[in-house]
Formats: sequence, structure tokens, C-alpha cells
Amino acid sequence: MTEIETRIRNCRTEMPTVVDMVERFGAEHRIPRNVVNDLNVVLDEVLNNIISYAYRPGEQSDIVVRLTMRPREITAEIEDRGRPFDPLRAPAPDLSAPLRERKVGGLGIHFVKKLMDHVAYARIAKTNRLRLRKRLDASR
Amino acid sequence: MEIIDTQRGPVVIVEPRGRMDTTGAKPFGDRLAELIGSGSHHLLIDMQHILYVSSAGFRALLVAHKMVDDTHGKLVLCGVSSELRRLFEIGRFLDLFTICATRDEGIARAT
Repeated sequence: MTEIETRIRNCRTEMPTVVDMVERFGAEHRIPRNVVNDLNVVLDEVLNNIISYAYRPGEQSDIVVRLTMRPREITAEIEDRGRPFDPLRAPAPDLSAPLRERKVGGLGIHFVKKLMDHVAYARIAKTNRLRLRKRLDASR
Repeated sequence: MEIIDTQRGPVVIVEPRGRMDTTGAKPFGDRLAELIGSGSHHLLIDMQHILYVSSAGFRALLVAHKMVDDTHGKLVLCGVSSELRRLFEIGRFLDLFTICATRDEGIARAT
């Protein structure tokens, strides 16, 4: 089992740090390109959500992103100390709306659920922890 | 994100490179708004150098699509790999966008 972790501030300009970490981790463990892309998409969704909605205006806080490699499985954990929020309970987006009425609210979590094999949320002490698992032997 | 655009007759071909994520969607959306605002209403977006699109990227594409529709122009995509197509499918965007197999076809459809 190998683990890598980074801590970023709750600021969008910090997000490329996470992309770099995912790319490095992917190269080190020879993770297939499509899986690296999926991880980057879901982390973009989750972090953008947290940074946009979890804090009071001007509030500064850290977010921890941790990747763990196990045989045939990658886990990504995201921990923030923002307001309690279980993204799994957010309303599903309307994906059938025509262009005029189409919104992307809720689309992020839809991508997370579809691209990962398992998603779990827990509120522990004052921390939101989202754990995402992606199987490596899973054929798409 | 690097964005190259070239005029081909009435069509502007926009070629973004990199990741259409929270970070990349901003300059991409700004560039499209700038083009549309300055009178380019026929756009072909060549996605061949895009690694992936997150919902922030889809939002930028949707906004540009609506702007172009308002001016009775056209927005067409090409260079969508099977990898990218899967994301369009999951987000149910395949019906909202015209996706062409080649640049030439894209130019014809965007004209």
C-alpha cells in the first residue's frame, strides 16, 4: 500500500496542485490514463464544490487530499472542515432539460457517482470526509 | 490552458489544449465570450487536445452554446475522442451538442 497526501487552502488557485499530485501518482504506479483522468475529473468536482459552498465568505481553511494505492484499487479521500455536507444526499440534476433550461448544478456529483465504483461520506468530529474508490480491474 | 484560434472563412476554429476543468474552463469560457462578443458567431471547437472535461468545462460550453444560439450562429464540436465522448454521455450532453468526426465536416456544419 502506498499513500500520498497534499494539503491545500480553500482556494481555486490551489487546485492545480492536486492535478499535479494525481499525475505524479498515476505515473509512479502506472495507472491507466483513463483512470487518471477520471480521478482528476472527480477531484475537480469535489474540490470545486467544497471551495464554493463549504465556507463562510472570507473563511480560510485547509483541505486534505489523500490517494492510496492498493492492489487493484485506488482510494481518494478528501477531508475538509467546512459546514457539514453530504454530497450523496444532494438532489439529482435534470439531465433531460433542453439547452435553454439546462443547468450544471448537481452535475459534479453525478460525475463522481458514475466515474467511481464506491463513494462514501462521513462527518467525523468537525470534518467532512469523502472517500472515493476506483477499481483498477474494472472494465468500463 | 492554451487556446489557439484560426479563422477559416466564416468559421473560427478554437483549439483548446489541456484540461477543461475548474482552472481551464475560466480562460476557455472567457475566450469564447470574447470571440462571440466581437462578432464571431460560427464556432468550431476542436477538442482533440483536451484530456478531460469536468462540469466546469461543460458549463463553459453550455454558456457559449446559448450565446451563439442567441445570435443565430452555430457552435459545433470535433475531435471528441471516445474517452471524452464517455463524459458527454454521462452528462447527457450528446443531444445538446453537434459533434462532428472531422474538422472539414465541422466547418461545413458550423457555417
